[in-house]
Amino acid sequence: MKRYSRAVIWGLFIMAAVSSCIKKDNFDGPNASLEGTVMDETNKIAVQTCTGNFSIRLEQIDWSDVPTPQNIPIKIDGTYKNSKLFAGHYRISLFGGAFWPTAPQELDIRQGTRLDFQVTPYLYINDFTAELIDSTTLKLKFSLAAPIEGIPNIIDIQPYVNTTTIVGPGASISQYSESRRLTPKSPATVWEWSTMTPAEKSPEIIIPNMLRGRTFYVRVGARLDDTQKNSNLSPVIEIKVP
Amino acid sequence: MKKLSKLFIAVIMGVLAFFTSCQKLDIKPVNQLSDDQIFGNESGINAYLANVYRNLPIEDFRYGPATADGLEPSETGFNPKHSWKHFYHSGAATGEMVGPWGGLSIGGGFGYWPYVDIRAVNYFLETLPNYSANYTGNRVDELLGEAHFLRAFYYFGLAKRYGGIPIVKTVQNYPQQSIEELSVPRNTEEDVWNFIGDELDQAYNMMPETKVSGRANRFTALALKSRAMLYAGTIAKYGSLNFVEGDAHAQGFVGISADKAEGFFAKSIDASKKLEGKFSLYEASADLEQNYVDLFLDGNNKNNPEIIFVKGYNPVLDVQSPHSWDATFSPRYFTGGGDPRSYPTLDFVERFGVLDVTNADGTPRRYNNLSEVGQGREARLKATVFFPGDVFKGRAFDDPSNTGVFDIRRGIYPSFTGKAVDEAYLTAPVSPSDPGTARPMDQRIGNNGQHLQLADDINSKYEGRTIIGVTGIRTGADNMTRTGFYVRKYINYKTPQKQVDLFTSSTPWIEFRYAETLLNRAEADIETGQLDDALVCLRQIRRRAGATEPTLADMTVEFVRNERSKELAFENHYWWDIKRWRVADSWLNNAHFRGLMPYYVLSEAKYIFIKERETFDRNYNFEKKFYYEPIPQGEINKNSNLAPQNPGY
Repeated sequence: MKRYSRAVIWGLFIMAAVSSCIKKDNFDGPNASLEGTVMDETNKIAVQTCTGNFSIRLEQIDWSDVPTPQNIPIKIDGTYKNSKLFAGHYRISLFGGAFWPTAPQELDIRQGTRLDFQVTPYLYINDFTAELIDSTTLKLKFSLAAPIEGIPNIIDIQPYVNTTTIVGPGASISQYSESRRLTPKSPATVWEWSTMTPAEKSPEIIIPNMLRGRTFYVRVGARLDDTQKNSNLSPVIEIKVP
Repeated sequence: MKKLSKLFIAVIMGVLAFFTSCQKLDIKPVNQLSDDQIFGNESGINAYLANVYRNLPIEDFRYGPATADGLEPSETGFNPKHSWKHFYHSGAATGEMVGPWGGLSIGGGFGYWPYVDIRAVNYFLETLPNYSANYTGNRVDELLGEAHFLRAFYYFGLAKRYGGIPIVKTVQNYPQQSIEELSVPRNTEEDVWNFIGDELDQAYNMMPETKVSGRANRFTALALKSRAMLYAGTIAKYGSLNFVEGDAHAQGFVGISADKAEGFFAKSIDASKKLEGKFSLYEASADLEQNYVDLFLDGNNKNNPEIIFVKGYNPVLDVQSPHSWDATFSPRYFTGGGDPRSYPTLDFVERFGVLDVTNADGTPRRYNNLSEVGQGREARLKATVFFPGDVFKGRAFDDPSNTGVFDIRRGIYPSFTGKAVDEAYLTAPVSPSDPGTARPMDQRIGNNGQHLQLADDINSKYEGRTIIGVTGIRTGADNMTRTGFYVRKYINYKTPQKQVDLFTSSTPWIEFRYAETLLNRAEADIETGQLDDALVCLRQIRRRAGATEPTLADMTVEFVRNERSKELAFENHYWWDIKRWRVADSWLNNAHFRGLMPYYVLSEAKYIFIKERETFDRNYNFEKKFYYEPIPQGEINKNSNLAPQNPGY
């Protein structure tokens, strides 16, 4: 019994002696958050996007003059959220995306900070319709409109077809999507907006041999020849093939 | 007596202890070499420079361009130790070949940052002059010139990746110097290329003509200058048209203004012309194909007139030295070990001219045997890639039991009618970036209802015949060709089959050869309108290659670029070329590459060849930001003056 209590005392003594080796840092954990929506400036609705299309870039400038950038991907509904950020002063910018460039903003991020972005897309894809013209052939119609002149050249226009609502560049079935891509007539490699004909601005795409008995999600996109080569995208339409 | 001796000992001890303080402790560390030992004589210098040479950014057989898709960090970069995966070649991400990269995985580079090596050169430049008394004549100047060349080579490796980076010309010391002093800011891209040019001028003026194996001389400096100044010229000319906006571009850290292009081109031409008469193309054999094969195997021959600088692999000096090129680019059938994974594309092969494997009406031509398809092609092409049906010279790595034929067959058609393109495509391809729609393999019926037979096993049979050849093409694996071709350049046919294995090849890597200099000169000539001089250069190249004589009307940018892509194929030039021409983002715009697929038509007992997508049908997409690699973020964290980061990252 005596021996046992002595062991306990020794144990406590060692713990007390070693406790001074533990440093307790006084930084807060990542308890701040930032969320918001990327809005279309004219229509005041969330922009059409897809997985991996663009992101929000954060740089914590009160921590370092040359911070390591940190990206928050934009979700498919145009919103973004990161609830595990360190509180601080950040420079926030849009990274990528087929929009007219916006200036970076500086902001203190605390718990529950919200920041919405207003952007103007290079192109709108208007009047997008998708219908089955016979039992397995899909016809897509739409028209392109540029709210501001002087957009980058257009590389290609293509449909995206998938079996889930997550559909867009990088998430599509290639026989229905990539292979139905519209490209400028050779030798041109890009369309210049100012010289495109009305027919080229309102194209039609036919997708044959859709599998029977499936539900597909369809949208179209126009890819622009700027730095990131991202696409402006249409809304998604659900198509049930009987 | 006892007392006395005690006293005596005590006194002696006392005196000894007292006088030890007179002994100064100045023994030099025995585990380090001193400056005296290194710089005091030539053999010390050889040892010091050996390390500097070993680390040079030479993209040889072993070079690993990025850590991705199964290439480990230890296998990436220059001179990775004990690496054998040479098929992770930069050409295999860019369409010269298709290979193990999942796509264009090499765009971001691997964070090359050789300031340790640059410091070693700077230390050499600062210290050697203190020992000039130990050397006779102008030997010190010659060695200093060599150091200027080495420093230029390291900066060339940096500039082509990052654009402007800090130019550090002195030895930095920490903690003697403050952090602020050591945080050297970036120089502009133009400054860096000019610095490289000046360093090479100095090297040229100071170095001797004498050839020493594995060491540079004044001609090596010229060869690097010819290449570097051409790079700078094209970056100025085309980079000012196609660039990514950003702070680094606005401040000149990447990009050069277009009006500087002419000056750089002139410097390149000047360097190339100085090599004229000193070197010539290798023309040892009248058999042009054999001659072109031997050129690359004759790197150790001091009398090879084309060679300006080689990097050797000497298994006697270092057992880890040999590389594995032969074993990792030849079918296993011809070797004693190892597997290949990278194969030349049809798109590359057709740079030499469209292969006429279809008739005028679009039906595939019928061939009695495989080897007919390769006959009558340009000698240089046949020496660069192996075609289906080619016979490996010297009976397949010297094994008499081996027939040595590249038996490349993809499958059997019970019968075949109609056009080749309809069989392979739903919509026809236009270019790699507009690749059409491939017909799914389960819909391939020879246009007449009988299914094409494919196999993954070389022993699978249909109607008593093996379906695929012993060297491919398998349906599901990439250890046999995916395109119908194999690499021939640098494959050493003289090695007996049993000896061809991993870490057994010692063929030297030719870093600078005269043909490249001629192509540099021709390209710079055409960019500056000196077509006559370009014609002189390209005539030599094409005559040796067994190609048709070019004319003055051929002297266009497209022509010289195509010629360069053919002549320097698989030598790790193409990636940098398509970047500095600023065409990579359109040439590799979601590109898919093709192969030439041989099939046997059973009903006719003939072979046909169909041009179609390579079997893995991978997608290669170049993003514009890849024109410059990102400065490693770890370095920016250490030195905030390296900001801003290159655009797009």
